[in-house]
Amino acid sequence: MAAKIFPVVKFATKVTIAGGALYVAYDSGLLGGSNEGSVALARAKSAIPPAVDEWMKYFGFELPATPKIEFSPLDAWNSGVQKSIHALSVAPSTVGDYTKQGLQYVKDLSK
Amino acid sequence: MSEKELGQKWDRCLADCAIKVGTGLGLGIVFSVVFFKRRTSPIALGTGIGLGMAYSNCQNDLRSHYQLHRSAAKEQ
Repeated sequence: MAAKIFPVVKFATKVTIAGGALYVAYDSGLLGGSNEGSVALARAKSAIPPAVDEWMKYFGFELPATPKIEFSPLDAWNSGVQKSIHALSVAPSTVGDYTKQGLQYVKDLSK
Repeated sequence: MSEKELGQKWDRCLADCAIKVGTGLGLGIVFSVVFFKRRTSPIALGTGIGLGMAYSNCQNDLRSHYQLHRSAAKEQ
């Protein structure tokens, strides 16, 4: 009798695990609109440091402090765009200057 | 739409995309291990579903500025 029930129990356990995962994802707002998603992300971010501290106390060692990286992708991108466009805008006059200098040099050579 | 508002919408879009793809991946892994004998197709399906949900949310969010909403219509 146990052999007959076992596949059913196994299937019921699988359905419970999968259904539970789905329900947790739905309940914490991970599957909703953009606002709910950012709310869930903020909650997770605020919950991580205390959780990490507790785990560290439990295991008895300290994680090395995360290095502070002073890099802003936005600033880097903006300055890159500005530099490229500026270079493009002065390119004709710069090329003209270099051509003049080159011609002057050749003239001097031929004198 | 002002630049600031547009920037906020894009920020929300990217965060939402990351969350949905991660959730889809996670649920795909769970379903693949539990039901489908560790095949990779449920994982890909879950990731794709997450990406699609994020795209759709983004689309609605960016379009909502130019649409007339029911509350605004009722005021008129």
